[in-house]
Amino acid sequence: MAQVKASPKQYDVVIVGSGAGGGVAGQVLANAGAKTCVLEAGDWYDCTKNSKMFDWPYNVPHRGAGTKDKPWGFFDATTVGGWRVPGEPYTNAPGSDWMWWRARMLGGRTNHYGRISLRMGPYDFKPYSRDGKGFDWPFTYEELAPYYDKAEELIGVFGSAENLENTPDGKFQPPPAPRGYERLIKIACDKLKISCIPSRLAILTKSINGRPACHYCAQCGRSCGVNANFNSPGVHLLPAMKTGNLEIRTSAMVREVLVGPDGLASGVSYIDKKTRNDVQVRAKIVVLAASCCETARIMLNSKSSQFPNGIANSSGLVGRYVMDTVGSAVSGFLPILQDLPPQNEDGVGGMHLYMPWWLYKEQAAKKLPFARGYHIEIGGGREMPGVGALGGYATHFLDGGYGAEMKQNLRKLYGCQVYFSGRGEMIPNEDSYCEIDPEVVDEWGIPVLQFHFKWSQDEILQAKHMQETFQEIIETMGGTVTHKSGADTNWGISRGGEIIHEVGATKIGDNPKTSVLNKYCQAWDVKNLFITDAAPFVSNADKNPTLTISALGWRTSEYIADQVKKLNVKV
Amino acid sequence: MAENESKTTQENAPATTVSRRNLFQILGSVPAVAALAGGATAQTHDHAHMAPQAAASTGPYKRQTFDDHQWKTVGLLCDLIIPADEHSGSATQAGVPEFIDDWIAFRTDQGGNEDLKAQIFGGLMWLDRESSAKFQKDFADAAPDQQKQILDRIAYPKRAAKEDHAWVAFFSEFRSLTVSGYFSSKMGVAALPYLGNTAVEHWTGCDPKVWAIIEDRMKNGYNGILESKPWTT
Repeated sequence: MAQVKASPKQYDVVIVGSGAGGGVAGQVLANAGAKTCVLEAGDWYDCTKNSKMFDWPYNVPHRGAGTKDKPWGFFDATTVGGWRVPGEPYTNAPGSDWMWWRARMLGGRTNHYGRISLRMGPYDFKPYSRDGKGFDWPFTYEELAPYYDKAEELIGVFGSAENLENTPDGKFQPPPAPRGYERLIKIACDKLKISCIPSRLAILTKSINGRPACHYCAQCGRSCGVNANFNSPGVHLLPAMKTGNLEIRTSAMVREVLVGPDGLASGVSYIDKKTRNDVQVRAKIVVLAASCCETARIMLNSKSSQFPNGIANSSGLVGRYVMDTVGSAVSGFLPILQDLPPQNEDGVGGMHLYMPWWLYKEQAAKKLPFARGYHIEIGGGREMPGVGALGGYATHFLDGGYGAEMKQNLRKLYGCQVYFSGRGEMIPNEDSYCEIDPEVVDEWGIPVLQFHFKWSQDEILQAKHMQETFQEIIETMGGTVTHKSGADTNWGISRGGEIIHEVGATKIGDNPKTSVLNKYCQAWDVKNLFITDAAPFVSNADKNPTLTISALGWRTSEYIADQVKKLNVKV
Repeated sequence: MAENESKTTQENAPATTVSRRNLFQILGSVPAVAALAGGATAQTHDHAHMAPQAAASTGPYKRQTFDDHQWKTVGLLCDLIIPADEHSGSATQAGVPEFIDDWIAFRTDQGGNEDLKAQIFGGLMWLDRESSAKFQKDFADAAPDQQKQILDRIAYPKRAAKEDHAWVAFFSEFRSLTVSGYFSSKMGVAALPYLGNTAVEHWTGCDPKVWAIIEDRMKNGYNGILESKPWTT
């Protein structure tokens, strides 16, 4: 018989999720003196003990190739999870094709993400005011800027002061010098009048808080064995445990938020995955940071007599306006790089240069057929050879062949490849949302999400612009385009969710009828329920969400601590 | 795959030691990190853990895909594609046939279809059929110039006859497996060479000498294996 265990202990705060949003909340609240409990659905993970840094593809199964269980390959830091989580399905409504990446591990997706750390700009908080599409945020860039400062200084972000339109500079560490192919791309971009500047990644180039600087092995996605890049356990949670105020429970799959007779949240109920027991944690304040869709799922599953449609859902908007990022890619081959003296081109785990959106003026002059912008991410050069290394080169660049001469020529062509990926803004729409599938449950007996998703023409035409721009950059360098997409695939636009930037689902606003949360990410209907992941987002600028999750989560956590002090929230 | 994992571990030891030493130098300059990671002992343990795991078994590779006759042809074909030269050893010396044998089994299992396996098996059968019809011998037993005659028909996509396109596709796939298997092997990584996957204390970006060559090519163009036209002026 299943047991329900309720401990008499009452925490000040229980936080659901341990990624960027749960991590920053756990740290800020524990530092503020709150007795805090963080619940994580996966296992314990500590990059300084579990990283596969420095191992070689030839020493691991199938040269590290992706599998059903490890879709990004053997080395990916994601221990359990990916595009599917065993025993935890989700469904798509007819006509929708949503992909949902979930990492079941302490720190969630911060363990493997690209560390791209871009501030949203002043325009990005008021998109509706600018072009009449989507929604405005209930505050300005200036209101969040101090929290971007704090987040950057804590997690460590490199970059450069550029003073570009709607691309705010931050508190940066020095950026790493560019690689050879990156310098070439910059020259081509200068020629095409595309801004190309040092990238902004949460990887240390200087030691801070006892974390060493990067040693430039380029394998951040494996998680860093010395904690030199941002990850929630290494930067937020493990240091916060030293306060004595933070407790972490793993294998805790939260089912619902519990509600007291007063209509306030009284804690959460979770399934201990190891024992399959139902466990209740009591807390004065509940913070959800389970990742945007999982947060919406918990809320929609939290049905009670007070909240028959799910907790804090009087607006009916929980699950609505889910967004991802627009992605489209082109690869190319640069003969100018052939047969160069070999050098180590690893660098940090990611690009050293990138191109922020550069066509604000053209867009304002209505010269572009789509709203909103994208930035360009780049890769290439003498990368670590793994699965598929140089595989098609002979067929594509040497008209086939075999034998000693081909082998020599392949060595000379190594390092000539370049990749361009666009990452663009999606505008929220009525057709993109998640809801509870009435017929399907997971192995913990929790009803699962069903997704509905559609791109609009704004996103599809943005992908077209990406394709044309990337091909032009490659051709400007005298290169050959080796992979591109056309009209038949909507210009290679990614599938919804594929870029793993899902945001939205519990929008913030200044009106309880048209939003789920107020401007402090506090539920209108339940004043001791807060959200610190990407669910509060009302737009999804082309600025990857993690840094904004950190800044917004920090601001929300300070607000919680402040409210507790002022006794506005019952503690 | 346990056998494959173990194969190269011993040879790998020197490079790994260098990486770890470099890393320790970096760590040595940051004493506070030890406290964070739970003390020097834990740190040493952690980095030892990061090194490629020691071999659990040392037995020979156990074939999953090819029979004895196919295995002979596969080895021969791999070395015709990537022979030994003054830089590095051949495909069979790098363990490429084992890689391909494992890769086909792996893709069949993961992809849930047998298309790749069918293409490779079918292509190997064609090599024998063609060789038997012309030279009354299986491909592997034919003379080197006879093998060359057959391969030259299918190794150059643009000049191949239309009726040979299925075999051209087979050979392109087989060549692709051989090339990627070779250059992702320990021997191939050294042959390229790929110089990374190591700790670098001071990152300085593109080597100025290399950049000077690139700048010269931008100005004057470069006629190597592929032509690169001047483009900055």
